[in-house]
Amino acid sequence: MINDFHYLKPASVKEALAMYAEHDDCKIICGGQSLLIVLRQGMLAPEYLIDIKHLDELSYIKFDDKDGLRLGATTTHREIEKSDVVAKKYPALVAMEGKLASIQTRNWGTIGGNLAHADPAGDPGPVLIALKAEIKYGNSKGDKTVPLDEFFVDYFETKMEHGDLVLEVHVPAPEPKSGCAYQKFNLLDSDMGIVAAAASVALNADGTCKDARIVLGNAGPTPLRVTKAEDLLKGKKLDDKLFEEAGKIASEEAQPVADIHASEEHRRHVLGVLTKRMLKKAFEEAQKAA
Amino acid sequence: MSQKKYTIINTPVHNIDGIAKVTGRATYAFDVTLPGMLYGKILRSPHPHARIISIDTSKAEQFPGVRGVATGKDTLGIKQGIWRRYEELCDEQILPLEKVRYIGEPVAAVAAVTEEIAEKALDLIDVEYEVLPAVYEPLEAIKKEAPTIHEGVERNINVTRHIEWGDVDEAFEEADYIREDWFKCSGQHHMCMETRCAVSSFTPEGKLTVYTGTQSAYYHQGLLAGVLGLREGDVRVIAPYTGGGFGGKFELDAAQFCSAVLSMKLYKPVKIVFTREEDFIASKRRTPMFYYVRTGVKKDGTFCARESRMFSNGGAYTGMGATALYLTGFFHSFPYKWKGYRYDGYRVYTNTMPSTSMRGFGAPQGMFCSETQIDWICADLGLDPYEVRRKNGHTPGYEVPGQAFIGSCGLEECINEIEKWAKAKGKLPANRGIGISACGFMTGGIFNWFDTPYSFSSAVVTINVDGTVELYVGCQDIGQGSNTTMAIIAAETLGVKIEDIKVHSGDTDHCPADLGAWGSRQTLMTGNAVKMACEDAKKQLLEFAYAEMGINIVYDLDIKDRWVHIVARPERGMKYEDLVKKALRGKDGQRIMGRGYYTPHRKGMISPAYSYMMQAVDAEIDPETGKIKIHEVMTAHDCGQPINPLGLVGQLEGAASMALGYAYLEDMPFEDGKLMNPNLVDYKVIRSTEMPPSPSIEVDTYEQEGPYGAKEAGEGLTNPTAAALDNAVFHALGLQIKELPITPERIRKALAEKKAQEAQK
Amino acid sequence: MEKQVLRFKVNGDEYEIFIHPKTLLVEAIRDHLGLTGTKRGCDTVSCGACTVMVNGFSVKSCSVLAIQCQGMEITTVEGLEKNGKLSPVQKAFLDNGAFQCGFCTPGMLISSTTFINELNGKVPSDMEIREGIEGNVCRCTGYNSIVRAIDAVAQGKYKEE
Repeated sequence: MINDFHYLKPASVKEALAMYAEHDDCKIICGGQSLLIVLRQGMLAPEYLIDIKHLDELSYIKFDDKDGLRLGATTTHREIEKSDVVAKKYPALVAMEGKLASIQTRNWGTIGGNLAHADPAGDPGPVLIALKAEIKYGNSKGDKTVPLDEFFVDYFETKMEHGDLVLEVHVPAPEPKSGCAYQKFNLLDSDMGIVAAAASVALNADGTCKDARIVLGNAGPTPLRVTKAEDLLKGKKLDDKLFEEAGKIASEEAQPVADIHASEEHRRHVLGVLTKRMLKKAFEEAQKAA
Repeated sequence: MSQKKYTIINTPVHNIDGIAKVTGRATYAFDVTLPGMLYGKILRSPHPHARIISIDTSKAEQFPGVRGVATGKDTLGIKQGIWRRYEELCDEQILPLEKVRYIGEPVAAVAAVTEEIAEKALDLIDVEYEVLPAVYEPLEAIKKEAPTIHEGVERNINVTRHIEWGDVDEAFEEADYIREDWFKCSGQHHMCMETRCAVSSFTPEGKLTVYTGTQSAYYHQGLLAGVLGLREGDVRVIAPYTGGGFGGKFELDAAQFCSAVLSMKLYKPVKIVFTREEDFIASKRRTPMFYYVRTGVKKDGTFCARESRMFSNGGAYTGMGATALYLTGFFHSFPYKWKGYRYDGYRVYTNTMPSTSMRGFGAPQGMFCSETQIDWICADLGLDPYEVRRKNGHTPGYEVPGQAFIGSCGLEECINEIEKWAKAKGKLPANRGIGISACGFMTGGIFNWFDTPYSFSSAVVTINVDGTVELYVGCQDIGQGSNTTMAIIAAETLGVKIEDIKVHSGDTDHCPADLGAWGSRQTLMTGNAVKMACEDAKKQLLEFAYAEMGINIVYDLDIKDRWVHIVARPERGMKYEDLVKKALRGKDGQRIMGRGYYTPHRKGMISPAYSYMMQAVDAEIDPETGKIKIHEVMTAHDCGQPINPLGLVGQLEGAASMALGYAYLEDMPFEDGKLMNPNLVDYKVIRSTEMPPSPSIEVDTYEQEGPYGAKEAGEGLTNPTAAALDNAVFHALGLQIKELPITPERIRKALAEKKAQEAQK
Repeated sequence: MEKQVLRFKVNGDEYEIFIHPKTLLVEAIRDHLGLTGTKRGCDTVSCGACTVMVNGFSVKSCSVLAIQCQGMEITTVEGLEKNGKLSPVQKAFLDNGAFQCGFCTPGMLISSTTFINELNGKVPSDMEIREGIEGNVCRCTGYNSIVRAIDAVAQGKYKEE
């Protein structure tokens, strides 16, 4: 049962931010694919709901070879999944979107809403962080941009404060000789990951590792970067042994929580396996890349 | 062998309810709205075991929009159960007066003008409980010091069942090899797409009408009458369409009972729809079982003896669990000949949601343990699992001592087909294996625990002046297509077209009593009743045809495709429609009416006929994560004469999906009596992306007892799959997993143990 | 908390209803318009029984506020037939026995129809079809008959009448 609320429908982002600043007990609804469940369970009962779903000024996919990719907050998952330019430049992003929940959810749910919800099991977080994305959010006074891996602070909690709205996700242009891969471990193809891992690798001209990122999903309160393992890889000639070792570190660094679907031990173990596999996949893609 | 060429039988026929279902016109109880209808909500126990000290409903009753509240005090306090013949097994008061025995048990119900008001009012009911110690597992509940769940029931043992034949000890003496294993079979939720739901309407003339999803309108009529103190004839149960059943919708549920109680109190229609969470925590489930299995075989693979003990988690009440207790033990012997067989089953009460029948009715659990152990024995002794199954399998005419007579049996052909299929696949890549499992199942139960004086199935057929046919049956179409099956049997028997038949079912006011859709009984039992009714009507028509056509009485007449003709000279005849008109005049205007019934006699203890099947699962396991990918599920199947191939394929594929779910995905974990996954996010139902191709081959048999030779199809195939998958894991990785579901974590754990053992060696 | 006017088109017909903003799209369709073909099967956006088309896209109507559909065009199962003729997907479901209890069928038909519409004539793989209906739970059929039905339509075996 959803509690009663006042429904506000701003005509612009500016108006939305003004409304948000004005009302204390207030939540933003966009696609509502997560929010409505929470409202129905009575875990949230805001007095006001501001609907931004229809704000087309936040619905865009822009790509530029230098600037990279810019995704407006109300862009749906399905739009990203179906975008030719995203498919070409960021195949890992499209692959991730294609496995995010169901088509129905992707048709209505938005990238901004997903990130703002800050579920550590959410799919876009790890991939976007592996791709070095940053996120722009703002309020009636102004906006700021932070690296996405600093955006998430705890379970279902971000850096945003009351009045802040996600505006845009920016993914830098792909580096040369780079690759990215993401996989979740789940029982049903469309489920959130019991655990997940994203990895990105960029190679130097000599084939050594220029940069690498490893981001774990549902392995702690936020998407979790395994910098210790990343550091291990940098500057080295990558091989299976290193991937195995990185996996081991990821497994150790993870902070997964047991539930009925898997024990903590199994989660750690699988995180190690996924990390190893995704690094290898990202590495292979980087080798193939221009 | 099929003995006859049929006109309609064995040709694919569209489901006769299909147009309604693909256009959204099909109306379920969930869709029913009556004028002046109120909405009900149920307050449920937060405690697994507690005494109810008091319930104060005054605040809720005064809440604006609330029309009434019911507690146990508004009921007759009758302990009800579907095992009506045995008073001690009728142990459930829906809205209990004294105690709650599981989390989610109803304690009060509110009727209000909206569902939202009813839900808010639940918070205003004050229930004072005295929390009692609780017990959740059968092996704990059976201990002397365990809390008593039902007064007077020692060690919480609800029912026991003993099955034995032959000299078991002597037969074990003859064995060269004996193997013992312990197994743990999980629960499973029916997860019908339509949650439990009812609209009850009681009117001042003392009539109660209940719209509900049900597997047996007649059972619900009888159960409601009994528990509400009404005459059966004053209760009308209507089930227009039912959104799935799978064994979970033939006992009285709280939506039906509470809506009826509230409606009788308020003289208004009341609708109660379970949320998905309520459906998960407070309906019923497949019975979790612990099995100890000891099997003795000769060196050459001849089965000597088996001795098994089983402890099941019965949950808080009996439900259909007593039948599952018997059937699991019986089918645990299937489909093999044992010189000596002994089974002792104990159904134990616990403070968890009650367990009951679910598709397979205990057999999937019993067969999981049996069929995996057989493969392990074969491996232990270096025997061929196909050969061992052929050697010991049932054959036509076999008698399971004191239990069952096997009529038709295509088991050997099924084994041969699967062997051929599996061997054609050749050598499989690493970490991939094919597992097999044989099984058999009943075609309707010869059980009258409901203690009905009616025939098990009845049918009435009347023929209208234009030749259209009204067929009245009490069988329940819950999606398995029984309305279509009955229409086919009627059309075939009468010699008319399928579109001439109008099937009337799912309404106790207009349809004859029938035990309904459980135990795979309708095709055979209702089918026989329909055939008999149609033969009766046809005979009446043909009497007039003889007179009208003036033929020599030594000739046989028949009707096919609306053409009444001499069998030996089919071109000589008359139109069926003309005959009907003439016959009506000849009968002084009385409608042609045929009656038929079926009650099994002298068919053993279990069932009049048995279907057989063999299944193979081709699965690949990721040894690093334990994740299973299923490539294919292949079935060879003996269901006698198929009636509707289109419906049959659907039944087999559906069974495979549900049984695969049971094998590796679905589970109902409880913590302190609380179900941990009462929603579709955490309860994993197989989806399109997980479902593998699931082809099947029908082997040709003919069952004398079945209408047109037909037997069971669709329930039995939930039995072999868990074992077949487990055997695939065994052949792929050498793991012997004895606990369901076969999760990635269990696979990994077993792999680690295996590695540790190998290292020791 | 004040009620608001929602104007939208459902199955080609204009409707104007007065609703609480918390009204879900599925509630507007079933309870306000009486179009009970669309079902509900869970409260967690899991089962897909409530799937309808909004401006041609499939969505789960239990997870959309009705008021968010202001001015939009909705198609439910009742809108698939045209002039009493079944759509290709409906016909294929009948021919392939792609339903049993029928409770998931309205949502399944909508997902299947949008999947077919989005193909633009491309013939999908088996797995693509499966991914197209992944959001819809069917407890009866095991999905394979549904996959066959969609495949038959995608192969052009059914024509719009």
